[in-house]
Amino acid sequence: MFDFFKKSQGLLGMNARNLDYIRPSNRKRGMEIADSKLLCKRTLKKNNLGVPALIAKIENHEELEKFDFSTLPNSFALKPNRGFGGEGILVVYGRKKSTAPQSSPLNAHSSPSATPLPATKTTPSDSTNTPEKPIGENETNPFSENWVKADGSIVTVDDLKNHIRNILDGSFSLSNIPDIAFFEERLKLLKLFKPYAYKGIPDIRVIIYNRIPIMAMLRLPTKHSDGKANLQQGAIGVGIDLATGTTTTAILGKGHIIEYVPNTRLILSGIKIPYWKDVLRMAIDAQAISHLGFLGADIAIDRERGPVILELNARPGLSIQLANFSGLKSRLNRVKGLQVKTTERGMRVGMNLFGGEIEEEIEELSGKRVIGTIEKVKLIGKDGKEIEVEAKIDTGADSTAIDTELAKELGFAETLRIFDEKVAGRDIMQELTKAERELLFSSVPDLADTTSVQSSHGASYRPVVHIELVMDTLSIPARVSVIDRAHLEYPVIVGRKNLRKFLIDVNK
Amino acid sequence: MEYHPLITFFVEQGVPIQTVLLLLMLPVIATLVAFFRQVIGIKAFGIYTPSIITFALLAFDPNGVKYGIAIFVGVIVVGMIVRFALKRFRLLYLPRVAITLSIISLAILIILVIGGMYQRTGLAAVSIFPLLIMITLAEKFVATQIEKGSHIAFILAAETLLISVIGYYLISWNALTTLILRFPWIILFTFLINFSLGKWTGLRVTEYFRFRKIARYL
Repeated sequence: MFDFFKKSQGLLGMNARNLDYIRPSNRKRGMEIADSKLLCKRTLKKNNLGVPALIAKIENHEELEKFDFSTLPNSFALKPNRGFGGEGILVVYGRKKSTAPQSSPLNAHSSPSATPLPATKTTPSDSTNTPEKPIGENETNPFSENWVKADGSIVTVDDLKNHIRNILDGSFSLSNIPDIAFFEERLKLLKLFKPYAYKGIPDIRVIIYNRIPIMAMLRLPTKHSDGKANLQQGAIGVGIDLATGTTTTAILGKGHIIEYVPNTRLILSGIKIPYWKDVLRMAIDAQAISHLGFLGADIAIDRERGPVILELNARPGLSIQLANFSGLKSRLNRVKGLQVKTTERGMRVGMNLFGGEIEEEIEELSGKRVIGTIEKVKLIGKDGKEIEVEAKIDTGADSTAIDTELAKELGFAETLRIFDEKVAGRDIMQELTKAERELLFSSVPDLADTTSVQSSHGASYRPVVHIELVMDTLSIPARVSVIDRAHLEYPVIVGRKNLRKFLIDVNK
Repeated sequence: MEYHPLITFFVEQGVPIQTVLLLLMLPVIATLVAFFRQVIGIKAFGIYTPSIITFALLAFDPNGVKYGIAIFVGVIVVGMIVRFALKRFRLLYLPRVAITLSIISLAILIILVIGGMYQRTGLAAVSIFPLLIMITLAEKFVATQIEKGSHIAFILAAETLLISVIGYYLISWNALTTLILRFPWIILFTFLINFSLGKWTGLRVTEYFRFRKIARYL
């Protein structure tokens, strides 16, 4: 019982999400972008991020009266601008003519972006097996403008108008504020996802914080969720290993753990998500553009266009933790305060830190921790001074070296000053014997040793100090040499001597 | 009963003791609702609805809980039935709520009359305002139904009722009323409690429950 409470500390709850992450990180402008799908679409598009194309929008009842429904393509999604939780979204898959035989192609109103569909089919399959008739023979009667929904039910113009009226009146927006309705291109289902998804389009939710991907899940619509990829409505959430983009564990709806797609033998783990790095990159870029410090990006993968951003969420839900069997809080704590300047770096950090289901098994077998080539390392210096930095893990180096400035911050400023004084610019190795050197440096405080290092930049004579390295929660006492690394990318390089307890995975 | 000099002063100025007490109780109820939300994780319909229902229950005294719950459940049930009945007409929001409210108030009237027929006049004798408060609850309920679905609306209604009943027992608890009338300053403690609730980042009780299945994998 007590253990249960202790373990739960890594989970992010509503209180902590609102107080520690949403409130401080998400500014008003970002919230506006997240709350308005149209503004979001416009902003992302301006910054060259893929979004589903806008077909038309209807802002008020007057525009609704004037709107020509025959200009609509065969398939589209009708959405409320400020809807939430997937409410109020209506998707049609094809046109149906009341008089036409079911198998005839329905080309009459197809816009360039829409594929003609046989009316009876509910999935976007190709119509190549049906004979193509000349377009002239297929003119649709304007009074029989019908579309077909995923479940085969008919949607008439009146149905659409009614739905739009409801949207305009704010039936689907928070606190019933009048809203805008818009038509959007319907995304085409990726072949890979076809067996897993019931009718709708699966999407990938990525949580981004501090430009680093923290957690991700694949959401699969089910029969129960009515083709919507929303866990609250009964969709499937599948956790994703950030390093590889491969699915891991899964839940159904609000927290029922599952291994297979219900009523099938389709296993949910091990699905490799295509364009994985692009998905992460887009999510990180979307965060930078939207200025939402704590963001849930919903990304779908279109069969032709690849990943597109569906929506940004300023208040991402917490179920993602269930799908991943992992707590957000512990992950967020690991990246807090990291300075990430580029998308690539953020992606790498996220992949390094939050991937590795498989590694854990290796760790259990070998008794060693698996780390990547770049790791977050905590240095504990004199008098317990702590600094956290990214370090290069280098099996080509014999020992560990840290940057002079870092050593100063760790409390060795005095040591370094006296050391420099004693060296006084001489070539110590050549001029003095071992005994003389020992005598010379014996009075320098906190100096553990001195050493001559041969590196690719030539030989250098360096002071060595005692610090504690904490890598992947493992603490290692280390003797590290101090050298000016200001011109190098990483202020710390960890060498073989301090890597005995680790295995290095270069893919991380 | 002995009052604090300040309370005595209020009463001397013509403020009824009942009003003083209720106004001093409001912070307690509000704090209770906040506690239920932040620590337990019971949402209810915001803070206004459970507080006002609590006072409505109090106004139904001496049979506050019995009649109060009956009316509350009546409002919710009628609200649900009307929603399903009106669904096919596809009405706009406000007219639909207007119809719902009208039917609910008629239903309440019928309940009162039937109560009278069976010599249960206690219900009909209460002031109209608690009844009106209960009826307007329907708007909150209908709005939630539209936004979040019937299932969630029903849960939130049940949670609201639960908090209100607990609140009712809290403010009709003699020890507490005596304490507040003797030492009204203790009301200031609610500020302290709310400040700490406002900074509380721990998991809610319901969240422990929600995540229980994955706890062993963490």
